[in-house]
Amino acid sequence: MELFLMTLVTGIMVGGIYALIALGWVVIYKCSGVLNLAMGELTLIGAYVSWWLYSTGIPFVVCVFLTIIIGIILGILTERIFLDRLIGQPLLSVIMVTVGLSFFFRGTAMFIWGPSTKTFHPPVFPQESIHVGMLSITPVFFWSFLVVIGLLIALVAFFKYTRWGLSMQATADDETAALSLGVSVRFVYAASWSIAFITAGIGGALLANINGLNINIAHLGLVVLPAVIFGGLNSIPGAIVGGIVIGILENMTGTYLTQIVPGGIKTIVPFIFLVIFMMFRPHGLWGWVRIERV
Amino acid sequence: MSRVWLPCGHYHQSYAKDQGWWQTPVIKLKMLLLLGIVLLGVPLLLPGYWVGVCTIIGYTAMGALGVQLLIGYTELITLGHGAFIAVGAYTSTMLVLHFPWPEVLVDLGLAYPLSIVVAGLFAGIWSVIFGLPTIRVKGFYFILTTIAAQFITVDLILTQYVSKIGGRAQSIKIPSDAAKIGPWTMSGDVKPYLLMAVLLILMVMVTANLLRTKRGRAWMAIRDNDVAASTMGINVFYHKLLAFFVAGAMAGVAGAFWVSNTSAMSPEHFPWFLSLKLVGVILIGGIGSIHGAILGAAFWVLVGEFLQMGVLPLADYWPNVLMSFTFLKTAFFGLIICAFLNFEPHGLAYRWWQIKNYFNLWPFSY
Repeated sequence: MELFLMTLVTGIMVGGIYALIALGWVVIYKCSGVLNLAMGELTLIGAYVSWWLYSTGIPFVVCVFLTIIIGIILGILTERIFLDRLIGQPLLSVIMVTVGLSFFFRGTAMFIWGPSTKTFHPPVFPQESIHVGMLSITPVFFWSFLVVIGLLIALVAFFKYTRWGLSMQATADDETAALSLGVSVRFVYAASWSIAFITAGIGGALLANINGLNINIAHLGLVVLPAVIFGGLNSIPGAIVGGIVIGILENMTGTYLTQIVPGGIKTIVPFIFLVIFMMFRPHGLWGWVRIERV
Repeated sequence: MSRVWLPCGHYHQSYAKDQGWWQTPVIKLKMLLLLGIVLLGVPLLLPGYWVGVCTIIGYTAMGALGVQLLIGYTELITLGHGAFIAVGAYTSTMLVLHFPWPEVLVDLGLAYPLSIVVAGLFAGIWSVIFGLPTIRVKGFYFILTTIAAQFITVDLILTQYVSKIGGRAQSIKIPSDAAKIGPWTMSGDVKPYLLMAVLLILMVMVTANLLRTKRGRAWMAIRDNDVAASTMGINVFYHKLLAFFVAGAMAGVAGAFWVSNTSAMSPEHFPWFLSLKLVGVILIGGIGSIHGAILGAAFWVLVGEFLQMGVLPLADYWPNVLMSFTFLKTAFFGLIICAFLNFEPHGLAYRWWQIKNYFNLWPFSY
């Protein structure tokens, strides 16, 4: 029972980080209708930037803020350099640009920082676990979860209550109509990529604190795709629920199934689960079902 | 309008002729010349290393053809095609090394060719399994299924289970005389190249012919608008699965070919990067054209080679550059893909068509 609860809690906390990265995915999809396949690499870049800043001796909180600022700059640059010409082009080409971007980011990050595993030194979070009742929680997970909750609330509020959030939703609905109503689509794209960079950067920094930092972070960023699809591509609550569900699923598999099915089943299970799940709900939990007409 | 540009005074008088392979004698001559260059010119004239490079081009093109069929002709975006190449490669390896072949077949050198056929069929069926969700899942949601195909096949089944058959750690060693066709053992540079050329030509012919049939037209109708296609009486699900089968089978044959060109089979030969690379190849080559896949593959491999040649002299001043060359290459190709999509969205095939047109119409521009 205790093992079960522990796994559950760890799953929820890791799931929180997944939810954060999933949110970056959903924001870009909501604004531009593009599936951003470079999300894993955005996570990687964020993680490396914060590690690099931390290794120069800056406190971690400041590092995260600087990562956010660098993320915003990178988001604007990405939009200006790579995506600006593609406004109004078929969606397939925009998605493929994100594939190209993922190559570019991965190659650049690995070229600059090398393939060996990096750790945050000295450790950012204390090593002793926090005891809550009979549960013991590793501080990394605990603090990550708090940060993630705060960010999630901020982002949801941004979409619901600000003018920018509204113009983003308008662009997602119909790019041409939004343009004719005076919404700057370029600005919306830049903003959505910046938000994606921010969420991925924070998520990456936290993930790097848990597992150490190497190319696998990009893979972890990709594990988030099942979470996004599970919740439905254009649903923010869906991303949060999906992230947590995938986190729990992954940890449960890690605890219970690994003895029966050895090997890397832990990271594969979300994909297997999603393939079966999609047969029953092809648009995820809360994704919009578009009625297709000829 | 005919499919190809016809010289002044040539007119087709039947639809069959309009769809013909060789519409004018000049085209026939050009194609025979190309065949001669591919089968005789390259192995006789180029040095061994570059023949090997051409083999890699062909291998990439074989994989890219399947992706072209799925993305370019049926608009099923696939980001996991490397998995089916891996399935073909492993099926062939396992059959050649572990299957109790009758002595007669081994002596005649039929074991490997038969394994190529079986690998193609098996990879096709494997691909159909992952195509099954198309019955309900569409668009971006479907991309996840193809990514799942990659991770389930390569990272789980092949890495964790198949690679460990016989207690080996990771890679399966392939003896140099394992791949044997008739009396010839596939070793050196030229023999794998010739095998590649034959397989690639067969594949191109199969694809081009399929696209001229009812099935091919159904695929293109689904690509343009699947709802409209289904109202016209096309069984969308069946045709999508058929596309998956054909594309998977081609990937399987490509993978089975890889057995003859490598000395050890390892899951690391088929990372997710390979699947993304194949998509990149057809983007560079041009979506929706067969020669686009080949042009893209040639571009990708040759640029990689030239990049390597350009970087090697730098090593004296900056030794680090060689160690991280693969990363540099990855980043560079990412930039190339982005640049192509921004500045040449129709790919090399379109540029090729423009050049051809220019010379066809010369000296007038219309």
